[in-house]
Amino acid sequence: MEGFSYVDIFATKHIEYLLVIGFLLLFIPFWRLLNRPARAVFEAAERIVPAISEWFRLPEKVYYHPGHSWAVQEGNQLVKVGMNDFAQKLVGKIQAIQMPALGSTIRQGDKGWTLKVDSKAIDMLSPVDGKIIDINEELIRSPQNINKDPYDSWLMKVEAPRFSVNKRQLLQGTLAKKWMEEVRENLLSRMNYNLGLVYQDGGLLVDGMARNLDREKWDEIVKDYFLITEG
Amino acid sequence: MKEIAAAGEIKNLKDFWAFIRSELKPKGKLLTPFNVISLPIILVGVVLIVYRLVKGLGAVTNLSQDFPWGIWIGFDVMVGVAFAGGAYILTFVVYILRNEKYHPVIRATVLNGFLAYVFYAGAILLDLGRWWNIVNPVLGNKFGVNSVLFLVSWHFLLYMISLFIEFSPAVAEWLGFRRIRKIVGSLTVGAVIFGIALSTLHQSGLGALFLMAKDKIHPLWYTEFIPVLFFTSSIFAGLSMVIFEGTISHKVFGNQLTHEDHASFNKIMLGLGKACAGAMFVYFFMKILILIHGKQWGLLASPMGYWYLAEILGFVLLPCFMFLRGVRYENFSIIRIAAILSMLGIIINRLNISVIAYKWYVPLSQRYIPSWMEIVITLTILLIEVWVFRWIVNRMPVLRKSPEWALEEETHEKATPLRKEAPQWKASAM
Amino acid sequence: MGINRRSFLKVLGGGVVGGGLVGVASGSIVTPGKFKAEATVPPKEFLGILVDTAKCVGCRSCEAACAEANHLPVPDIADDSAFKKERQPTVTQLMVINRYQTDQGEVFVKKQCMHCNQPGCVAACLVKAMEKRKEGPVTWEKNCMGCRYCMPSCPFDIPKFEYHSANPKIMKCTMCWDKLEKGEKPACVENCPENALIFGPRKQLIEEANRRIYQKPGEYLTHIYGEHEVGGTGFLYISKVPFEKIGFRTDLGTIAYPEYSKGFLYSVPIVLLLWPAFLIGINTLTKREEDARRKGGEKR
Repeated sequence: MEGFSYVDIFATKHIEYLLVIGFLLLFIPFWRLLNRPARAVFEAAERIVPAISEWFRLPEKVYYHPGHSWAVQEGNQLVKVGMNDFAQKLVGKIQAIQMPALGSTIRQGDKGWTLKVDSKAIDMLSPVDGKIIDINEELIRSPQNINKDPYDSWLMKVEAPRFSVNKRQLLQGTLAKKWMEEVRENLLSRMNYNLGLVYQDGGLLVDGMARNLDREKWDEIVKDYFLITEG
Repeated sequence: MKEIAAAGEIKNLKDFWAFIRSELKPKGKLLTPFNVISLPIILVGVVLIVYRLVKGLGAVTNLSQDFPWGIWIGFDVMVGVAFAGGAYILTFVVYILRNEKYHPVIRATVLNGFLAYVFYAGAILLDLGRWWNIVNPVLGNKFGVNSVLFLVSWHFLLYMISLFIEFSPAVAEWLGFRRIRKIVGSLTVGAVIFGIALSTLHQSGLGALFLMAKDKIHPLWYTEFIPVLFFTSSIFAGLSMVIFEGTISHKVFGNQLTHEDHASFNKIMLGLGKACAGAMFVYFFMKILILIHGKQWGLLASPMGYWYLAEILGFVLLPCFMFLRGVRYENFSIIRIAAILSMLGIIINRLNISVIAYKWYVPLSQRYIPSWMEIVITLTILLIEVWVFRWIVNRMPVLRKSPEWALEEETHEKATPLRKEAPQWKASAM
Repeated sequence: MGINRRSFLKVLGGGVVGGGLVGVASGSIVTPGKFKAEATVPPKEFLGILVDTAKCVGCRSCEAACAEANHLPVPDIADDSAFKKERQPTVTQLMVINRYQTDQGEVFVKKQCMHCNQPGCVAACLVKAMEKRKEGPVTWEKNCMGCRYCMPSCPFDIPKFEYHSANPKIMKCTMCWDKLEKGEKPACVENCPENALIFGPRKQLIEEANRRIYQKPGEYLTHIYGEHEVGGTGFLYISKVPFEKIGFRTDLGTIAYPEYSKGFLYSVPIVLLLWPAFLIGINTLTKREEDARRKGGEKR
């Protein structure tokens, strides 16, 4: 072995460190890009998904609670309550409903009734304060009627002396429309603009949208929309 | 003879044999194009295998003193094992991280992994010159623990057992053995954890085999980091194979799947595509890092250098960006093509290290080029594996849902441990 | 968590002990011959052979003697045409003499297994068919599986495989180990008429080589090939012309070949320790999360 044979074994170390820093700087945007759907997909979703009035029925003279229950004035201080179209599409086929006993009091924003869907129990919040004076027995026998027509199927009739005050917390008319649009946006973003929930013609897969979003944790999604907090 | 329709009716040994007999009958058409093409190849291959066992390796292969390892090692074993990498990654995701999204494909992936290792162990057996001594690394008193191959062979054996345990619930469900199903079901997580550690080591170990061929492999491919590169590439190799095989299975076995399964598979493909893109991005950077660390950039301006660039640009970087585009635009065709390209890249990479860049300085006339007999035997092994896969999928609950009693068991299993543990956690958890 | 924590610690503890054992075992096997020699016999040097290429006249008596001693077909050593091309040992000829034309005239070089101090083939063999004997030679045993891993692992490409046979062997020079056991000398050394082959303990051979080099300064190259190459070999060569001109690879480095796999092999017990520990940990964490979720769903 002739000649000067010093070998700098760390000769390339500074370039290597620069390369690693470069990798980190590039990988993070790469990964974020990977996880954001393309503009085109986003816009396609916007195009296919029609106005909210065709997705979720939102009748005019109804007052909606942000937790997706509704209230309609029947007569003097008498109010019908139920769950709205978005709620029933979200949970899908309802197997059973548990309602409080006749004569008991419900408060606005507290637990109103419980749905039994696919062996899980989901609460919904009551839209008004009052005393329960009638329960829809037919609905308890056949809860699927809610899926058929959520606004025709009233759950309870409530004596609500403070309905005018309750109304201030409820949404109606244009406000309700705006709210529904926000809900739709929220739903779209949860789908990650993945149109797995929508048929080609824009019809909505209604086999319980929550279940299509997440087979295991769908109840958490529902509780999110129904404003049920753990506790 | 009693006709046993469902496994649940087995009451005694007679019933059992009747059931097995009925299962052995072919299901479906016999004269499909696939059968017609594959059967003659398999028959020729079996004859060649016997010929090889009787006459020795030289009669059937083009192996030489300069090239002791050919496509049976370079392709069957090294590529096959890389493609089976989907099993350890997806079992990690489904059983350790408990991500249920990938549950629909987990059984098929584990089955594929198990069959891959079994059949490629068979390929190794054929490649061994003194195959009757194959038990020596396992039994006996002369263990070459200093050998990387010792480690690889033990891991193959242990990993095959792990994969079988992971797959055995499906077998138990097929046979209707409820108690056994419960027992092997409880072993799953342990087998998965063991399997992931084993896989890490033997995926990288296959690369480590070439560490002592330092002066024979072209410097662009030889590096002390070969094991790390093999391990990283096994991630996207395995997942690409899941995409590839899943797509084919969904077409061929579509009758076992529900509409929900098809929809969920698309979501799964997106997730797999994302993982492949990420892994390939990292792998590409690793290759560049190693290039710089070894000061090899000067070698890029040579025929082998161009081939190297073709491998990492055309078959790593390109499919990486194709995955990126396919995932973002939800274009499943692009994702599928990207998967095929990345699989080709793995084949090229493993063949480079074992046969092409190995002794690259030997002129073409003296190089190893596989004989038609080697190729036929390789195809035979692959085709028999596909036949076995098809046999199993048509009979056992791999793609279709498990029987009711098994599903109930599963939800019950998941629910019960809670009651045992709850009291202990009350104080500390919240 | 009581049960899980216990089993977690059990696994960890078992892994530490197991990993330690494997680590110790693998560390000790890397230097098989030396370790064995120190444990069973008083310290000795490996035996080797010094090849003085300046003294070799190319008579090929060693080729004939080797073939006879190994019961292989004896080559026609009078036939000069053998020197036309550079030859390799084969399955039927365990050593060859090659002739090189240099600016100092014809040089004849004996080529055979180098019997490295730390052989790559021994590190590669998973059934210990390739063994470094305590006397020095590297030999092959019949418990071989025929995997041919020794072949890519040899820096000198020496092991040759009998592809034509259904009961194949690996053929290479054994330094006549069975003769050494009887106290005799290797056949090639005994039959060399020119004293070009010296047999003895490695240290003495290096001394002899240096003596020859420095006795006539300027004639021999001041380099003993095999003294340090790939960690040192049993066959040592001295020459009057540069080694790369007479068929030697001079780019092999001084690191013993088993060292290249050492890093990977040492990581094995570490992975087998860390991975299960981490995975059990993650499994427990995700299980807790899943149970909490389930608990919440079942409450009402």
